[in-house]
Amino acid sequence: MKRGTTKTPAGFCLTSLFLLALLLSSCLPTPPAESGGVNLTVYGFSIMKESLEKGVYPGFAAKWKAEHGQDVHFTSSFAGSETITNQILQGVNADIAILSIERDATRLKDAGFVVSDWHASPQQGIVNKTPFVILVAKGNPKGIKDFPDLAKPGVRVIHPDPISSGGAQWSILAIYGSELVKSEKDTTEPDPARALQTLQAIWRNVKSTPGSAREARTQFELGYGDALVTYELEGLLMKQAGANVEIVVPRATIFSEHPTVLIDRNVTAARRPLVEAFLRYLWSDDAQRTFVQYHFRSSTNEALNDANPQLAKIELPFRIDYFGGWQRAYPEIIERVFRDQVQKRK
Amino acid sequence: MSSIVPTMRHVRGFDVARPLSIGVLVFMMLPLVFLPLASIFIFGTSKGLTSFWAALMAPEAIFALKLSMVTSFWATAFNVLFGLFAAYVLSRYNFLGRNALIVTISLPTAIPTAVAGFALLLLWGPYGILGRFLAPQGIQTMFTAGAIILANIFVTFPLAFGVIKPVFDTMSRSLEEASATIGATRLQTFWHVTLPSLRGAIVSGALLTFARAVGEFGSTILVSGNLAGRTQTAPLYIFAKFNEGQIEAANAIAIVLALFSFLIFSVLFFARDWLDVD
Repeated sequence: MKRGTTKTPAGFCLTSLFLLALLLSSCLPTPPAESGGVNLTVYGFSIMKESLEKGVYPGFAAKWKAEHGQDVHFTSSFAGSETITNQILQGVNADIAILSIERDATRLKDAGFVVSDWHASPQQGIVNKTPFVILVAKGNPKGIKDFPDLAKPGVRVIHPDPISSGGAQWSILAIYGSELVKSEKDTTEPDPARALQTLQAIWRNVKSTPGSAREARTQFELGYGDALVTYELEGLLMKQAGANVEIVVPRATIFSEHPTVLIDRNVTAARRPLVEAFLRYLWSDDAQRTFVQYHFRSSTNEALNDANPQLAKIELPFRIDYFGGWQRAYPEIIERVFRDQVQKRK
Repeated sequence: MSSIVPTMRHVRGFDVARPLSIGVLVFMMLPLVFLPLASIFIFGTSKGLTSFWAALMAPEAIFALKLSMVTSFWATAFNVLFGLFAAYVLSRYNFLGRNALIVTISLPTAIPTAVAGFALLLLWGPYGILGRFLAPQGIQTMFTAGAIILANIFVTFPLAFGVIKPVFDTMSRSLEEASATIGATRLQTFWHVTLPSLRGAIVSGALLTFARAVGEFGSTILVSGNLAGRTQTAPLYIFAKFNEGQIEAANAIAIVLALFSFLIFSVLFFARDWLDVD
């Protein structure tokens, strides 16, 4: 007890240092975004990050500044499509959500967060698209040429989790639909049994299901698996960053189409013109060119895609329409085929 | 000792067990603790110190570190004061439900942090039990710095209390009684007699709480909204950068947090004489 009341110089220095550190940290830092101007909050699914932050945001900010003399600051959060949808449903203040799958837009609408109809936007609300491909290590050591090769013994597949990731659902549709389209092409009759078998066999090889397409890519980059089914854009971004990967383009694959919605419940009347202007900007040639530059494909004008020579040619492309749209694809393929007949058997 | 314990083997007066057990200890810690930590440092600095520094100086990284410090500070301030108060009440007075209260205070240690975040959302979220009445008034707690502080308070609730209460329990009452007999008020006694002898417990309780709060992840990711440069704390920043594949950026902040906790626990260890903690 006595020792406790004598102050040593070292002890004194220590306390004052600690108190100083606490004092320094006791006032909330101001977000860099809040120093004057107006703010836009965008929640995007995982792969939207580069094109938005490096191209679209600066482009729109410059345009708005020129027209209204006002600075626009963007804050955004990127995660799996289902994850950001759930966050918005829990009440985060998003103005705009760019989603991987239309099902999530429908969920926001059903909960009353989105009132306006996104189909009224250009291209039915689809802001850009990209095909699904297979990523493998450089040199393709496992000899993977198409989806069925992923089912070969000894191939470790990384596949994002369809519970949280829209990309994972696209990937399931890509594999399943690819087999249907190919069998239809070869024998004039789609073969659902072959499609189901391939999907089941591939999922026996799935070693890891990360939460989003971007997490899956990180795991793949760290050398965790032999193959990853993902957006073409992810493969091109990885190659651009100098990663040792190769893109395998399947004979038939799906184009994922990404809807963008305005979260009506969070946008006040005063801020609405700004949010709507940004929404319109996404379909402008300016923004569409930016998307192509970051390896998406334009949803408004196919000719813009020629600007990016790295985009692959696909022999038999198909869209969600092939399954009758998301309102049928989700219950029929994701639930009845994948969840009930693939996942439960694992 | 050795004559009392005949089973202990000595070779020419040399205790074999000593270097052997130290060696085993270090060897066991190598893959479990040392190497994982070392790999953060090796990876983080593999591209040179300039790229490490650049990653560290990114505005969003600095913001995330600051936000972590500030929210942890307020959570610590609250939990130390609360822990002090709770320890005082629970060790001085005996009442019905006292043990139930003690157990409840300790509960957050065992609850998964994700559940803590979830519970806060269900209560304070815009559609939560309380939040739905506050939201129309324009009061929003979740997805703000306030939410992060609330989450930090919840998950570190028992730490300061846990350090302070045992000291209260074993404290000799005679000094306080002496103080009272010479005419000191309750408050004076508390301020001049009780509090000084608790100094060590308070400081170490605060450091423990602060260290734990800075590293909090599970509850924060649920309640903060994870907006970069706005509600993204350092651990969330690390997670986001890792998911984006920017492992160097994640590593830079991870190194800072690792050094920071090293500092805190060094203070706890080497200053413990002064702090009067055993």
